[in-house]
Amino acid sequence: MSYVYTVARLRGMENHLLDSAFFSRLMDSANIDDALKALGETSYSQWISQTGTANFDKAIDSEILAVCDELKSFVPDKELLDIFRLPYDFHNVKVLLKGLFKVRGGETEGRRYDLLSKLGTIDTEELTNAIETEEYGFLPYGLTDLIPQCWQLWDAAKNAQAVELLIDHQMFRAMLAVAEGLKMPDVIQWVKFRIDAENLRAAIRLARMKYDAGKALTFFHEGGTIRPDDMAKLLNEPQETWSRILSYTDIGAVLNALNEQGDMKASLTDVSKALDDYLLKVLEDAKYSMDAPANVLLFLLTKEAEARNMRVALVCVAGGLDREFGRRLLSNGR
Amino acid sequence: MEMLGLSLAMLGAALAAALAGIGSAIGIGVAGGAAAGVMTEDPNKFGSCLILQALPGTQGIYGLLIAFFVLNKLGLLGGGGALAVTWNQGLQILFSCLPIALAGWQSAIWQGRTSAASIQMISKKPEAMGKAIILPAMVETYAVLALLVSILMLMGVQVG
Repeated sequence: MSYVYTVARLRGMENHLLDSAFFSRLMDSANIDDALKALGETSYSQWISQTGTANFDKAIDSEILAVCDELKSFVPDKELLDIFRLPYDFHNVKVLLKGLFKVRGGETEGRRYDLLSKLGTIDTEELTNAIETEEYGFLPYGLTDLIPQCWQLWDAAKNAQAVELLIDHQMFRAMLAVAEGLKMPDVIQWVKFRIDAENLRAAIRLARMKYDAGKALTFFHEGGTIRPDDMAKLLNEPQETWSRILSYTDIGAVLNALNEQGDMKASLTDVSKALDDYLLKVLEDAKYSMDAPANVLLFLLTKEAEARNMRVALVCVAGGLDREFGRRLLSNGR
Repeated sequence: MEMLGLSLAMLGAALAAALAGIGSAIGIGVAGGAAAGVMTEDPNKFGSCLILQALPGTQGIYGLLIAFFVLNKLGLLGGGGALAVTWNQGLQILFSCLPIALAGWQSAIWQGRTSAASIQMISKKPEAMGKAIILPAMVETYAVLALLVSILMLMGVQVG
C-alpha cells in the first residue's frame, strides 16, 4: 500500500503543529486567561470553547482524538494508529480494575470514570460494561484472558502494583504483536525501543529505591532489544556505569548524554523526558522518506509531545508554578 | 524477410512510446498522490504542485518523439507506403529505440518519486521551490541523454 499521499498530507498537517517558540510564549502568559487567549489561534481553541476553560485537560484529549480520527480516514494501515492508541486502552483497564478493587474492598466511591481516556481504540462505555459485567469475550489485545488473570492475582495477593505490571506486560506484548502483524521493520524496531525505554525507566526507579536485583526481574517487560535479565543485572552496578554496559544498544546513548551532563541523578521526570525525546528521535529517519509508514507514528508521537507540552504549560500558568522548571519539562516536539 | 525488418523497426517504435509512456504515467501518478496530500491541507499550493507533478511526463514525450522519428524513417507518416527494410536494418532501428524506451521508463518512475519528495518539501518550505524543481530535474538528465543516443543511432541507420 502506497504511503505517498499519506506522508504528503502529514507534511501539510505538520505545519499546524505548535513549535517551541509558541510554548515559550505560552509560558510567559501572566495568567490562565492570557494563555487561553494565546491558544485562540490554534486548533485547541474549538475544544476549549466546548469543554470550558477549567477543563483544558479534556480539551487537549479531544484535540488528539480529532487528529486520530482524521488520520484514520486516510492512513492505509489502521493498525499504525492502534499502536499509538493501544496504551490508552490498557490505561483504561487499569483505571476500571482499580476502581472495582476498591469497590470490592468496601469503598463506595472507588470508581473514577473521570480518569478514563477517550483515546483508546475501545469505546470507554463498552469497556466499562465489559469489565463490570465480566463479559470480556469481545475485547481485543489479549484482554479477554488478561482481566480474569488480574482478578485472580488481586484475589490472591491484593497487590495493585503486581496487577499493574501484569497489564503492562500484556500491553507491550500486544503492541509488538500489532507491529509484527504490520511487517514494517522500523515500526517493530520502535516498539522494541519503547519497551527498552520503559524497562530503563523502571530500572532507574528501582535503583533509586535500592531494590534487590534478584527480585527485580518481574518489573521488566519482554520483547525489547535488551533482555529483562540484563536489565535486572544493571541494578547490581553503579548507575554511572550503565551507559558503558549498554553501549551496545541505541538507548545507551541516552544514558551517555545524561552522564555527560552529570545528570544521572536527575529527577525521574528529566530521565522520562530524555527517553520520550529518544523515542521520537529513533523514528526521525522516516522524515527523510517520502513514503515511510513510520511517518504516521512519528506524527502522532509529535502531536502527543505537543499535547504534553500544552499540559505542562497550562498547569504551570494556572498553578503559578516556577516557569523555568516548566520550561525544562517541555519536550522537543516539533 | 522484408516484412520482418519492418516489424522489428515498428516494435522499436512501439517500445519507445509504450515503455517511456508507462514510466511517465507511474511517475506522474506517484507525484500526483503527493500533490493531492499536500493540497488537502493547503489548496493554495496547486500551482507549485502542478509543475512538479508534470516533470516526469517528459519521458513519455521523448518516447513519442522517437516513435514518430522511426515511423517517419519507415515512410509510414507521409501516406506513401512503407519503405523496404531489411531484417538487419529493422534490428538496428529496434536497438536504437531501446535507450529511450528503457531509460525513459525507469527514469520517469524515479523522477516521480523525487518529485513527490519535492512536493512534500514545498509543503513545509514553499520558498524552496527552485531547489525543489532542480532535484527531480537532475533525474531528467539521463532521460535526455538516452533520447540523444536514440536520435544519433537512428540517424545512423540507412533505410530504403
